[in-house]
Amino acid sequence: MDLASNIAAGFAVALTAQNLLYCFVGVLLGTMVGVLPGIGPVTTVAMLLPISFALAPVSALILLAGIYYGAQYGGSTTAILINIPGEASSVVTTIDGHQMARQGRAGPALGIAAIGSFFAGCVATLFISAAAPPLAAIALEFGPAEYFSLMVCGLVAAVVLAHGSVLKAIAMVVLGLLLGLAGTDVNSGIRRFTFGFQGLADGIEFVALSMAIYGIAEIAYKLEGKQDWADVSQAIGRVWPAWSDIIHCVPAILRGTGLGSILGVLPGGGALLASFAAYTLEKKVARTPRAFGKGDIRGVAAPEAANNAGAQTSFVPMLTLGIPSNPTMAMMIGALMIHGIAPGPRVMIERPELFWGVIASMWLGNLMLVILNLPLVGVWVRLLRIPYRLLFPAILAFCCIGAYVINSNAFDLFVMGFFAVFGYVCLKLDCEPAPLILGFVLGPMMEENLRRALLISRGDFSVFVTEPLSLAFLVAALLLLALVAAPAIRAKREEALQE
Amino acid sequence: MNVSRSKDFWAGIMFLGFAAVAMVAARGYTLGSAGRMGPGYFPMVLGLLLGVLGLIIAARSLLTADNRIDGLKLQPLLFLVAGVCLFGLLIERLGLVLTLIAVVAVAAFASRESRSVEVAALAAVLAVFSLAIFVYVLRLPLLVWPNFFG
Repeated sequence: MDLASNIAAGFAVALTAQNLLYCFVGVLLGTMVGVLPGIGPVTTVAMLLPISFALAPVSALILLAGIYYGAQYGGSTTAILINIPGEASSVVTTIDGHQMARQGRAGPALGIAAIGSFFAGCVATLFISAAAPPLAAIALEFGPAEYFSLMVCGLVAAVVLAHGSVLKAIAMVVLGLLLGLAGTDVNSGIRRFTFGFQGLADGIEFVALSMAIYGIAEIAYKLEGKQDWADVSQAIGRVWPAWSDIIHCVPAILRGTGLGSILGVLPGGGALLASFAAYTLEKKVARTPRAFGKGDIRGVAAPEAANNAGAQTSFVPMLTLGIPSNPTMAMMIGALMIHGIAPGPRVMIERPELFWGVIASMWLGNLMLVILNLPLVGVWVRLLRIPYRLLFPAILAFCCIGAYVINSNAFDLFVMGFFAVFGYVCLKLDCEPAPLILGFVLGPMMEENLRRALLISRGDFSVFVTEPLSLAFLVAALLLLALVAAPAIRAKREEALQE
Repeated sequence: MNVSRSKDFWAGIMFLGFAAVAMVAARGYTLGSAGRMGPGYFPMVLGLLLGVLGLIIAARSLLTADNRIDGLKLQPLLFLVAGVCLFGLLIERLGLVLTLIAVVAVAAFASRESRSVEVAALAAVLAVFSLAIFVYVLRLPLLVWPNFFG
């Protein structure tokens, strides 16, 4: 089938009343958690994972995907109006976005953010449709050695892109891999790392782990500091930017979209990295770089386009290779597994309606988001008046219900309690949790592929360097590590990853 | 330098601790060989790797000045975790409604700004909302009221 008929088939799936509804619910919830600084897409997706039990796989994925890219729209609203990023990926939007708001140009800032995001969303949807099938075709040829090396490469990339110390990020990956191995080993039937707990026989529940770290530990961390965000009293004014503003922003939006689309595909990439890179690039190419930081509209347009593009293209490695590029994608893999679908290149062949349906829904979701965000921005702002003291018990309650219903197992709550303490310690020690989450998801897959590769080669480790593709992945991983180790680039990296 | 509040030092110690647990546990599983990996092989390799990383991170912190851990306020964390564990203890005994009320009441102590009237109202709203969404709309298998006879 060619691209056009694939996309048409996708729209046939996405345009059913039921899937339209789930798409709408997804982007609505996504915008909401995007606006609220205390709660992010990972926690929300984790809370909704049990609900997706009840849905068809394609509807579940449409709903969960909507939350992720919807949050990218919502995050900018908070960033512009009150100078607090609603989402991590809108950190850079605060710089120029809030300056614009202070100059009374909050409306156009919100407008250009939505327009840039919408344009980027459309392009990214096309990009996924074009890039995913050839990538899946290549991935079908992968043997266990290639898969193992690809995972090594992906994890190294995640480490390089994490904030702070590279060594600590590598240690978090290894710890994540170890935690992922807990439970009954599929080959020997032996229970590993269960320490006699019956409740760990099926391993550590991923939903409980991620909600503990991204939900509960975050609340504890937040409750230590100042709890209420500044009030939002200023008028927003006309949201639609002037034509001169839009024309001024076109090149910035194009660059942000391109950069975001590419960075989203990289392992460890996604919305966050894309927005940082796009802002840095705009500052570099601008003829008047001094205007940045003082309310330059291009400083809003580029990162907002980039984070939306990156959020969407990060689905490519998840859908084609079965490898998550960020914690939200790891949750998506969890959702597919609940439905008995092993994410990987076969999904596109065996369940084309799933793949193309989700892609078509992304475009529809973006359209809904523009409508939700431009005329209704006043409604979202009102959400910010909810004090955190009322919000956090609600988040906690939904996390508890979510952790319980996934297996109807009360033991998972104690698992969540334990990892909440662990997550808090990690936050305090500057140990970034994202590499741990990726390692956790990849742990069992990595072990299985390592075992198979070495079984075929009869214990000969050279198989990883004699297979050309496997060698290429390992060389790429080494290059990435070497890059971070080089002092000049190290300084640049720290600069780029700094808030 | 004084390491008692060094972030890197304690991170290294934490990784070393996890590595020790992993390796001690992995000793109980068959190692096998590279060509025929047993269930202990990969965990042992990872445990060793984590131990080495932990050592380097902790050792390096002795040589370089690094960030210090900022003030720990354990009250929020303790009440939040207590709420989570309470949910686990009560959900199969008291059912969703009473459990949620208890959990919200305990969790509210995590914030100094909580006010008792608000907390009571919030608990009631959350219980009703959860009942409507999770039990009636989504039909998730949840015990709603105490089951004294089951």
